[in-house]
Amino acid sequence: MADAPSLITGETKAGDWRNYERVLLPPVKDLHKIDVYEENGGYSALKAIVEDGKFDPKGLTDEVKASGLRGRGGAGFATGLKWSFMPAVDPEKPRYLCCNGDESEPGTFKDRQIFEYNPHLMIEGIVLSCYAMTIKTCYLYIRGEYIDYVNHVQTAVDEAYASGYIGQKILGTDFSTEIVVHCGAGAYICGEETSLMESLEGERAYPRIKPPFPAQSGCWGMPTTINNVETLACVPLIVNRGAAWFAGIGPEKHPGPVLYGISGHVNKPGVYEFPTGMLITDLIEVAGGVRGGKNIKAIIPGGSSTPPLTWEMAREATMDAETLREAGSSMGTAGLCILDEDTDMVAFTRRIAHFYHHESCGQCTPCRDGTGWVEKLLSRIENGEGYTRDLELLLEICDQMEGRTVCALADAAAWPVRWGIRRFRDEFEARCKAESFVSSEMGDGASTETESITI
Amino acid sequence: MTQPFNGSLLRPDFVPGEPVERHFSDVELVWTDDEQKQIATFRSQYPTNDGAVMKVLWLAQNKFSWLPPEVVQFVADTIEVPYAKVYGVATFYTQYYKEKKGTYVLDVCTCFGCQVCGGYDILHYLEDKLGISKGETTADGLFTIQEVECLGACGSAPMLQVTNGPYVHNLTKEKVDALIDDLKEGKMPAFESVTLPQDETDLGGNRRSDTELVTEYQTPPVSETLH
Repeated sequence: MADAPSLITGETKAGDWRNYERVLLPPVKDLHKIDVYEENGGYSALKAIVEDGKFDPKGLTDEVKASGLRGRGGAGFATGLKWSFMPAVDPEKPRYLCCNGDESEPGTFKDRQIFEYNPHLMIEGIVLSCYAMTIKTCYLYIRGEYIDYVNHVQTAVDEAYASGYIGQKILGTDFSTEIVVHCGAGAYICGEETSLMESLEGERAYPRIKPPFPAQSGCWGMPTTINNVETLACVPLIVNRGAAWFAGIGPEKHPGPVLYGISGHVNKPGVYEFPTGMLITDLIEVAGGVRGGKNIKAIIPGGSSTPPLTWEMAREATMDAETLREAGSSMGTAGLCILDEDTDMVAFTRRIAHFYHHESCGQCTPCRDGTGWVEKLLSRIENGEGYTRDLELLLEICDQMEGRTVCALADAAAWPVRWGIRRFRDEFEARCKAESFVSSEMGDGASTETESITI
Repeated sequence: MTQPFNGSLLRPDFVPGEPVERHFSDVELVWTDDEQKQIATFRSQYPTNDGAVMKVLWLAQNKFSWLPPEVVQFVADTIEVPYAKVYGVATFYTQYYKEKKGTYVLDVCTCFGCQVCGGYDILHYLEDKLGISKGETTADGLFTIQEVECLGACGSAPMLQVTNGPYVHNLTKEKVDALIDDLKEGKMPAFESVTLPQDETDLGGNRRSDTELVTEYQTPPVSETLH
């Protein structure tokens, strides 16, 4: 795009979003009940495919590819492309679909709305995806803290079984698929795809080295595809309304409806459904503006792993992967956290570091130890005991963590610290003591504060 | 020369050769017929025995309220996998209780979404109210306070979860007081459905006719201690 060097234009890419008609969570009372869902066109996509043969498996994959649907779980990988990585069907090898409902990324609370208000859309999406990839078993992994939603979704799955939408010979055809609801037990790392598979297999959820990628060797070493709940919920919409309709929502490279989870210092936090490419300022407007009419200091655009943006960087940016990358962050899970001018960025960054320290699975040393060092250094700075040189040390630790571990948790832990320090350095420095050493008092270069951080 | 083990620094859970302290007898460590049926279902859902580990651990924790070594052994025997493997899984996940907790475990979220909206205020208020620090249990064995990581309810911060069960949203000190009073009377909070802001005009807020307790997303409070 030679004539548009910057994607950050300050103009919305979401089109006429003020008149946007919600599709993931349409305004229908009791939509979570199967009869209401059916009355509103539910399971018509499944019928069109398995009964009327609207698409064959390859045709459905191509349709999803053409829609431009990208994963909603954080990485934003093209869904149709991911599906096409599945090898040719080998009758000897079972194949699995995993639906990732672990939703543990801090700042993210969107999938639970689908579990509660529109579970059948997700279930229909799962069955359609199983059809596209000729899969006979889907594991629906929901985090253990969502026990109320686990039971709620299990009820919906049971209803769908009773109506013949899941199970053997779906709608009287030769197509069969099973859904097993799996309840986690409190581990952020299980949202990582290979870790989730380890967890399903009954192992400690240590992520695996890739390659081999899940499509080659996933659950129990068999071909596996893993998609986020919201991603799979988009599939019936694509079948019903067509890829062109989906591709026409929001910006070209990252289209579709998105559930924005808006939290932090806004008047009306909550989950809002809009097209991708919404201006961050428009989202703040729909969320009722900033609490107390304050100014904004920082925006976390998509969960804790996405680098924080200063207000200057965020005010003209839109919520799509390309623009946010140019703005200096990423789309993540579209869980925005708005921080007003009074926010203590040091304490905030320290709390993120604490999260990653707690949630590091302990498999790789740079992450297991690095997250702990980062947290200790940030705690020290927060308590006014840190030195300016600690900021350089923190950045150096971040260098040693990024890209040196099996999974991306270390990267996710390092980014908010690195970019937090780079973008809010004044605030960090103001909390630090300028003197590096008090060698005249201590004699040997050691200082009292090192004692408190030594293990 | 290596130093001999200093027992005063570290107290191991058991000393080799000595029997481990048990909390449940063999008479208690049995499954009912209904539970056995559930376990058979769990095992049929996964291609290997190991797959059922998490579900059987949940079943055991709901039955025995926590997972001391003999319960972990019981689970291991039930699904025919080694003790060490089940122990490894049980210790990996935070929601499995490896030590005895209070009747009600109050998991207060202080992760950043709650932090900036007063999560620490609620944590500290609870600590003062119950006279214990996070991680501790009250002397009457009724309450344990834990500081936990993001529970996925950032829009209704600050919030907490009661004993791996219901969430309590939009916490205030008054709401905490009422919760503690209810729990002392043995009343667990009911499931709270949090409405969607966009439903306000279309559906009058609530979109479910089958929930009693409905909460709206509210403007989060201004934190007293930490912004």
